Amino acid sequence: MANAQTIARKPGRGLLVFKWTLLGPLFGLLLFILPAFLLQLYFSFHSWTIYLGSWWDAEFAGLGVFRDVLTDSRFWWAALRSLIFASLSTLGCFVAGFALAMAMHRPFRGHSLFYAVFILPMLTVPVVIAYTFEMLLFQRGPINGILSTILMTNVNVTWLAQPPIAVFTVIMLEIWNWTPFVFIIMLAGLSSLPPELDEAAQVLGASRWRIFSEVQLPLLRPVIMLALILRFLEAMGEFPKTWALLQGGPGSATETVPVYLFLTTWQYFHISRGAAMSYLVLIFMILIVLLGIRLLRREKQTIDAIHAKPGAGE
Amino acid sequence: MKKARLSRRSFLKGAMATAVTGPWVLRFRGVAEAGPLEDRIIAAAKKAGPADLNGMIWSLYYRNMKRLSDEFKEKAGVGVKDIQDLSIFVIPQRAMAEAVSRSPKIDFFHIDSNMIPSLASAGLIEPLDGYMAEVGYKLEMLANFPSFMKYKGKTYGIPTDGNVHIQYVRKDLAENPEEQKKFSDKYGKPLAFPKTWEDSLQIAEHFHRPDKNLLGYAGLRNRANGVTWWYMNFYSAGGFPFNDDLEPTINTPAGEYAMDIYLRHKKVSHPEAPNWGTPQMIPQFTQGNAATGQYWDGTARQIESDPKSKVKGKFLYGIVPGSTFSGKLVHRSISSPLAAVLVNRYSPRKRQAALMTLYWGTLSNSIEIVTHPTWVFHDPWHAGHMTHPKVIERYSAPAMDAIAKSMQITTPPIYLTGHIEFQDVLGKHIAEAYIGQITAKQALTQTEAAWRKLIAQIGKARLKEDLVSYKAAMPTVDLPS
Repeated sequence: MANAQTIARKPGRGLLVFKWTLLGPLFGLLLFILPAFLLQLYFSFHSWTIYLGSWWDAEFAGLGVFRDVLTDSRFWWAALRSLIFASLSTLGCFVAGFALAMAMHRPFRGHSLFYAVFILPMLTVPVVIAYTFEMLLFQRGPINGILSTILMTNVNVTWLAQPPIAVFTVIMLEIWNWTPFVFIIMLAGLSSLPPELDEAAQVLGASRWRIFSEVQLPLLRPVIMLALILRFLEAMGEFPKTWALLQGGPGSATETVPVYLFLTTWQYFHISRGAAMSYLVLIFMILIVLLGIRLLRREKQTIDAIHAKPGAGE
Repeated sequence: MKKARLSRRSFLKGAMATAVTGPWVLRFRGVAEAGPLEDRIIAAAKKAGPADLNGMIWSLYYRNMKRLSDEFKEKAGVGVKDIQDLSIFVIPQRAMAEAVSRSPKIDFFHIDSNMIPSLASAGLIEPLDGYMAEVGYKLEMLANFPSFMKYKGKTYGIPTDGNVHIQYVRKDLAENPEEQKKFSDKYGKPLAFPKTWEDSLQIAEHFHRPDKNLLGYAGLRNRANGVTWWYMNFYSAGGFPFNDDLEPTINTPAGEYAMDIYLRHKKVSHPEAPNWGTPQMIPQFTQGNAATGQYWDGTARQIESDPKSKVKGKFLYGIVPGSTFSGKLVHRSISSPLAAVLVNRYSPRKRQAALMTLYWGTLSNSIEIVTHPTWVFHDPWHAGHMTHPKVIERYSAPAMDAIAKSMQITTPPIYLTGHIEFQDVLGKHIAEAYIGQITAKQALTQTEAAWRKLIAQIGKARLKEDLVSYKAAMPTVDLPS
């Protein structure tokens, strides 16, 4: 009888252990994150500038700090610059990363060496990239020299001194730095595609382009979405290269949200404004993530529907 | 405090005498021989008890000061154990973080003295007057220069780097008869050392030959530093950024004049100037690629003492140009960042830290720092540096003459609580105007609008009190004697 009771109780205990296995780390994580999160919340509802007094004496400002940020044209300009930077660099990373993944999809001699070389930029510290390229990008530096040799004309581009070119330069550095990230994701996506579909299309006489556009690309859509969303979120937060190379300049051409946030918080010492700004950026990022999850879910449903069709996979 | 004045005649007499006798004296006597002041500081430190100090200082600065720290440790039991090796541009943020935490860990900060109002307002730094009085230490700096270390009547810092701007003109070019003729034919006046910004621009224009790798003008125009040059244009036009009621006053004729002068330099500057900092600009001087410019005085030492310098003895030095915009000729130089040692008020070792600071700041010890064989940034600041043979040997007599004169007309940047924001907002708008993102007028109006918001946030009453310290640091003479 006792044995029967123990057996009956066991599934319940197992479930409990399973629940706590999941909930334990979650609570731990919350305990770790929550104080900073709450403190940030406190700052954003109070008006605290470091040199004007202690944080616990800061005046309650309600939504005043948020209102200040939302009516600050400099913040909106920074947001626009961040969006342009993140969109273009994400696009660039995607195109370059996907192209590399396509080239590396099939094994060939020296595959591993190329793979290692291609992921190298991602392993380089962004500040190091900034300082290295600063030396390469001088008007009389090696990059203009190489371009002059290739183009057989004197190239004198001032890569870091003119606003549109400086923005282009930082975008190019971001693409150089993070193309490997997209490359790895897309390579994993390509490797997970069932080879039968590819082979069947070949047997039916489909061209390489048709196989790519009508077989591989639709199946890769969830992976593409994931790569684009992750890269965009990461690019929105880019700070080290932009700061080390240009500090928001020339003029204010590269004053993106992270740069303005840093200036507000750690150069102007307006902790409350910085906190409110961070929350607004966080809300924007959460919206992008939710949109991304929705799109991914839709893609998954579409693919599931294809698989569920009678005759599919036969 | 009595202001130390140095006439041109007495300076030259002193310089000549020391240049002749100095090397003989130095052969037989150590420069850093401790005098009674050092003895008094050592005695006070012994009384305070041994301590191992922690400092926030850039190692590039500290290496010139380290031997003295070790010596003080040996003699008084107080020395520097650890340093947080941070660039002087990063230290303001880290120091402010220390103010938030009220941490007793860091005993001193080596920082731009323009941070004094903000750090004193944050309650982080210790007034040094008591310690100075105890050992009989006086800040012996020329003219109003000691006021750069003061806030609301209290002294908070001891400098290690004077960092005053002087004018540089290529002697070999300016004294070339062919060039002189070409210049006088073009401008209808002789090619002479520039007295005004307009003169300086004409000389720069005359020598600007980018195809021959010669820049007419070398001065910083990037977002972080360009504003330092703008201040000189603005102050010399009789401008001051605020009136007594803390209303911004840069959108004025003086402000417009300053913008005009600042922007006119673009045509004689390097096309990459909007993003160039000191690492790119100093070589333009030392490699002979710059004909004229205003720059920190340390560049003179690099020109005259660096074995790699291609232009040793080829520069004329003097005070920066002035302006007659206000109706009389006014010269205004600038000292920023003026690096100084400040002491943490929350440190249990603050007494020892203050005495260590004073030890670094005595005449003989500071000469050792300023004339260290490996110059990094420490430039003359003490009145005694101006005539000391070893300092003159490093910088050259003409450069030291220019430095001594410049100290009589030097100014601080905006010396108020919130200094960095006041300055960065101005610097951003000036930089935007320089590259054509906004007009010169917009730069002034937008800066004033941003300043008004900041003033409202900090509080007019508080800033009006600060304004007294700011004005006290402004020079009282238009032309140095």
